[in-house]
Amino acid sequence: MNALSKLIAVEAKLFLREPVSLFFVFALPLGLMLVFGLPQRGATEGGAGQHAELTFLPSLALALTIGMLALFTLPMVLGIYRERRVLRRLATTPVNPGLLLVAQVVVNLAMGVAGAVVTAIGVRFLLEQPAPANVPAFVLAFLLGVACLFAIGLLIAALAPSARAAQSIGPALFFPLLFLAGAWLPRDQMPAWLARIADYSPLGATVDTIAAAWAGDTPAWPQLLALAVTAVLGSVLATRFFRWE
Amino acid sequence: MPVIEVEHLHKRYGDKIAVDDVSFTVEQGEIFGVLGPNGAGKTTTVECVQGLRRADGGTVRVLGLDPIRDRAEVRQRVGAQLQESQLPDKLRVREALDLYRSFYRQRADIDELLADLGLTDQRNTAFHKLSGGQKQRLSVALALVGRPEIAILDELTTGLDPQGRRDTWDLVERIRDRGVTVLLVTHFMEEAERLCDRLAIIDTGRVVAIDTPSGLLSRVGTEHRVHFRALDAVDDALLAALPGVTGVRRTGDEITVTGPEEVLQTLLATLAEQKVRYAGLRVEQPTLDDAFVSLTGRAARTTTSPSTDERPS
Repeated sequence: MNALSKLIAVEAKLFLREPVSLFFVFALPLGLMLVFGLPQRGATEGGAGQHAELTFLPSLALALTIGMLALFTLPMVLGIYRERRVLRRLATTPVNPGLLLVAQVVVNLAMGVAGAVVTAIGVRFLLEQPAPANVPAFVLAFLLGVACLFAIGLLIAALAPSARAAQSIGPALFFPLLFLAGAWLPRDQMPAWLARIADYSPLGATVDTIAAAWAGDTPAWPQLLALAVTAVLGSVLATRFFRWE
Repeated sequence: MPVIEVEHLHKRYGDKIAVDDVSFTVEQGEIFGVLGPNGAGKTTTVECVQGLRRADGGTVRVLGLDPIRDRAEVRQRVGAQLQESQLPDKLRVREALDLYRSFYRQRADIDELLADLGLTDQRNTAFHKLSGGQKQRLSVALALVGRPEIAILDELTTGLDPQGRRDTWDLVERIRDRGVTVLLVTHFMEEAERLCDRLAIIDTGRVVAIDTPSGLLSRVGTEHRVHFRALDAVDDALLAALPGVTGVRRTGDEITVTGPEEVLQTLLATLAEQKVRYAGLRVEQPTLDDAFVSLTGRAARTTTSPSTDERPS
């Protein structure tokens, strides 16, 4: 087995040994769905705008899964690896330490997909909601959301001075993004200028495009574009500023 | 045949000169020590040898290769143990070895390595459950898992208890017995004296001396130290003026007179003549510590309680 596949296998094992990450990915999104989704199901249709859309909650749950992996787990693990000189140690071997970063992204990505599938199945059967209708658009929106949020996570990992700092920057960024996505206040009740920003914010655009595809519509191109641009920008800056020690 | 050649190595971080001018060669099959106080530039020197840092001046050759330009080849053939490097908490001993082994062309037998390093019982133990000594041994095992020709061991015994330290020394000798050349970085005199065939003493980025431990001792000559407590007043200047005396120092109420072995006789005669009574007399023979002090002109700060961290930045 070559070094990269070995690294991925080991990182995957380490991920699965971390109960907190498993909870974030597989239990929390579904739990939130059930807590907020079940009461809503019986309520009268045609209530307040964004939150009344059937696909809003499941899309938010998926965005939550990706967001927590990208903004909590990834920067924290990379911060620890740098602080404990794991990356430095790897630099003394024939293997490029960049491969460990690749392995981390691959593992988190795989876990994100697995978490999304579990959540989607949960939504389908526990909440008796339809499966995603526009599958190609759904996959595209999901992947762009992943790319965008992971790029932000990598940028945090690159810029955070310590693992502890990375652990606080992630959540400090995550909750405002969640707010902009309309998790608490529906975006149609926000001031127009804020809603405008929110539409193109990483989680906002992810939730909207996934929700649209789930409902069978075509996601808005400007929002997909916003995700792609953020993904590229974040990755370039992360590569530029990443410190190995 | 030299396996490591360092010539006029110079390295600075911004305005701070970490390594001013360091040259030495390491012969195949020896244990070569790089000894010096914290901040002397030892770690930076070996990091340049490993190709982890690019030298600002001078040349470094490892197995005839340039560690920066031929880094892939050098890394295949040089195993390293880094100061204070750790592994992920939940990674198990055998998994770590198996992972690192996959990076190399030449691969050591893991079970044999585990047995050699006394880690067989810990093979399935997670990294964070290992003791300090076990972590250190694992770190050495990782440095050896690619069957290197050279092993670079940086501050190997820092933080270990005396027993762990002695076990680790045995281990280093066994590594050399396998035919591996060892470059050992330490600020610990006893360790250097016990293990090294030859050593370079580095202070403030320069090589002060390169010699065998006994060669270094002979350089400080026959310098002995006589310690005693004077029970009556005695003039330091008078003691310092005695023939052969090279130094008089007071620490609390203890007086230390240094000089060749004959100084003892002269000193005792003088004390009797001056009717100075004394107590707690003892004579110390020269050690590597003394060699260090006389070569660098200052005390080795950390011989008894090794601290950590001499990394720059």
